[in-house]
Amino acid sequence: MKDVIRLGSGSGFWGDAIDPAEESLRKGKLDYLCMDYLAELTMALLQRMKMKNPEAGYIPDLIDHMRSLLPLARESGTRIICNGGGVNPRAAGEQLRILADELGFTGLRIAVVEGDDMVERMDQLVESGESLINMESGEDGFSNLRERVVAANVYTDSSGIRQALAEGADVVVTGRVSDNALYVGPIMHEFGWSHDEAHADLIGSAITAGHIVECASACSGGMSSCFDEMPQMGMVGFPIVEFSRDGSFVVTKPEETGGKVNSFTVKEHLVYEIADPANYIMPDGIADFTALTLEDLGNDRVRVSGVRGKGVPERLKLVIGYQDGWIGEGMVMFPWPRAYERAVKARQTLTERFERLGLVADDILFSFVGLDTLHGPATKDTEIPDLNEIGLRVAAKTSSRSEADKIRRACTQLWIMGPGGSAFGTPTKPRPVVAVWPTLIDHAAVTQSVTLLEV
Amino acid sequence: MSRILADIAYVRSGDKGDTATIGVIARTPEDYPRIKRSVTEEKVRELFGDWVKGRITIFEMDNIESVVVYMEAALGGGATRTLRLDQTGKALGNAILRLPVDRDNA
Repeated sequence: MKDVIRLGSGSGFWGDAIDPAEESLRKGKLDYLCMDYLAELTMALLQRMKMKNPEAGYIPDLIDHMRSLLPLARESGTRIICNGGGVNPRAAGEQLRILADELGFTGLRIAVVEGDDMVERMDQLVESGESLINMESGEDGFSNLRERVVAANVYTDSSGIRQALAEGADVVVTGRVSDNALYVGPIMHEFGWSHDEAHADLIGSAITAGHIVECASACSGGMSSCFDEMPQMGMVGFPIVEFSRDGSFVVTKPEETGGKVNSFTVKEHLVYEIADPANYIMPDGIADFTALTLEDLGNDRVRVSGVRGKGVPERLKLVIGYQDGWIGEGMVMFPWPRAYERAVKARQTLTERFERLGLVADDILFSFVGLDTLHGPATKDTEIPDLNEIGLRVAAKTSSRSEADKIRRACTQLWIMGPGGSAFGTPTKPRPVVAVWPTLIDHAAVTQSVTLLEV
Repeated sequence: MSRILADIAYVRSGDKGDTATIGVIARTPEDYPRIKRSVTEEKVRELFGDWVKGRITIFEMDNIESVVVYMEAALGGGATRTLRLDQTGKALGNAILRLPVDRDNA
């Protein structure tokens, strides 16, 4: 039995590079390659794809990615775990089976983990007594949006992944399993841990390891405030976790790759997108980051120890996506001289056009690109010099596509109505809004299932 | 000499629904107490004005000399429905570096 297992992070989101995952498989001596593809917006997009075609709904790039990864993983004896099944893990599994067949990988076992998709079960959940109160805003208005629901997925724990691994899967493809469970699953499986008090700290540590590496290069120099100290980010190495049976772990990356792993890059991601660091709540448990220690070992290696854990939360997060109108937006650039004055005049002209076109909008936001687009009211009032150039951006939220299209039309009309020198790219089409309603449901309402497909 | 947080801290920010989270990391251990004194709910609320409509909570992580600023109803409705260009608050967090550093008591 191993005392240290090696897990590579192979993807941090849908759109991430695939070559670093290939490099980790070649150089990393990995036991597992774990790949996260999903986000709230991604789930809604995939659901729309599935509505158009019942065979779609998984990450479209998944099969191409596996075409390059599977031969490498077979050579290195690495098992791959990914949530690229999106809202249709079964279809993804079937496509992977066809791919493995094509590659001649006889005996390869592909496991499909399902059970997170609740979109067909919303009424049943309500009938069973779930209030579906919005966990962020505290609102109790789910019935008002019931008719507009397009997706509903539970962030599930690692139990499906563990079962799949126990049944000998070489590749595990899941739906909306939490990003974190992609790492916690294999660690619990390898060390034979269960969800009891004796393992709470150890599982807390596995959760922390998952948190640090699940966004891939975000802990090896990506997104860094010290960006100018990060070498060759175009050839960045994705992180690898060496997880020990005692719960401590080392974060590192393959040799001769770009970026860095040091206690600062790990800190940068430890503080990312968390609420109370003493209670980092994941479906597999609650981790306490406030007692852990980071130790720089040199050579892109950081040792993490001392994580505490607090057992499994009673409720699971369910994210419901629903149709919520449209957004229209546009952007125009203005040149020196008097760029700012041109932009201010264009804003006035657009406001008049919106009135003339009878625009009905819930909200309109104007911003000056180059001045206050990113920090809004936090932008210091400073005297504006005669800028080289500036942009004017406008976005509006409307209830229909035709209203949102008035933004595009008004912006296009600035071609000639606007101040001299106005420059445009291609006008932006209106986009539909899928808003999210996060809520909590009972653990017991969710059952995961595992299907093995053998080649 | 008056300083701002940008002189003593680094930031990484992101989103959870309509909540913006900002991790503020001390550049040196000596900077950490200054960060704790400088990043208060009142000052953060004043800085962001009407872009933050909900509660603001500040969590301390003494072990890694960092604080996490958790701002609810702060992203204009969340990534999928906000009108802002910075849909997930990745850029927003850096604004906190504009806060003045609270002077040492000494």
